[in-house]
Amino acid sequence: MNRNILGSMFLALLAAVTLLAGGLNVGDTVPDFTLKSVDGDDVKYSSLAGDITVITFIATQCPISNDYNERMKAIYADYHPKGVKFVFINSNKQEDAAEVKEHAQKHGFQFAVYKDPGNVVADLFGAQVTPEAYVVKDGKIVYHGRIDDSRKGEVKDQSLRNALDAVLAGKPIAKPETKAFGCTIKRVS
Amino acid sequence: MRVPAAVFTLILAGSGALAAAAAGPARLEPYDAQRHRQVLAENRGKVVLFDFWATWCAPCRAEMPLLVELDRKLRGRGFRLITVSADEPEEKQQALEFLREHRAPEPAYIKEVEDDDAFINAVNPDWSGALPALFLYDRSGKLVKTWIGETAIAEIEKAVRGLLD
Repeated sequence: MNRNILGSMFLALLAAVTLLAGGLNVGDTVPDFTLKSVDGDDVKYSSLAGDITVITFIATQCPISNDYNERMKAIYADYHPKGVKFVFINSNKQEDAAEVKEHAQKHGFQFAVYKDPGNVVADLFGAQVTPEAYVVKDGKIVYHGRIDDSRKGEVKDQSLRNALDAVLAGKPIAKPETKAFGCTIKRVS
Repeated sequence: MRVPAAVFTLILAGSGALAAAAAGPARLEPYDAQRHRQVLAENRGKVVLFDFWATWCAPCRAEMPLLVELDRKLRGRGFRLITVSADEPEEKQQALEFLREHRAPEPAYIKEVEDDDAFINAVNPDWSGALPALFLYDRSGKLVKTWIGETAIAEIEKAVRGLLD
């Protein structure tokens, strides 16, 4: 058996393990990946990321994601000046680039939203819902989960803000993994 | 022929009960991790499908009538559909009206928890909280199948029937 076959087998095994583990987890290194701008240009994640990056999977039609539009804008406004980079991704198959562009304009997003054709990036991360956030520090995931703990009622846990505050202060994140109810990302079949 | 008053009353009472069953759940019972364990224990010996859904979730709304129909068809063979709404408290009435419109079985539940994380983990640690989420348990109370997101009803029915046979 030559080394190429062994190499292929190793890659296949690695892919299987990644799938079983549900994508990328806290502590994992984020590899570079490619997104599409709403104007159709290829954009590398590495060109958007910084020392601290927030990657958020969002939607145009999901009521949960839309309930967080204003909160996402506020988080961006508070943390972007502190050097945090933001990458917003739409992986839903039924929401095309034109719809994503219009949605961003309608809601006055100060940030770009990128398309993930074929939900390749959602699969890489194992992202399941919108909204679903990841905080990446020095290339590794340090937080994964919800933006906060209440869609409509009183927010008791500012999960994403708490994670960013901790990372900016160089402190450990109290809750690096959280879950929340949300719309499933609509994948290609 | 004169119908005795007692018989007439019985007929009335009977039709009332039928009307109540056909109208769907009268109320939504609160649901948390403890109640989940309790419902599982109470339904030991039956094949149980938990449907975690919400009014804001389009695929959840689309599959509800199909699941209710499945419950109606297979209830006599020991199948139970348990619906648990993940709606917020202010959407409770809307959720109840939806269930009543589709004649969903009783009892029906609505999540009332302090901590979504802990609740989701208690139901299934592998679940992200994405909706719709269906969890199928066999008669021994063992989880045998999970469906997250849109799922063909034929696939669900096949799995349920497989456990009933």
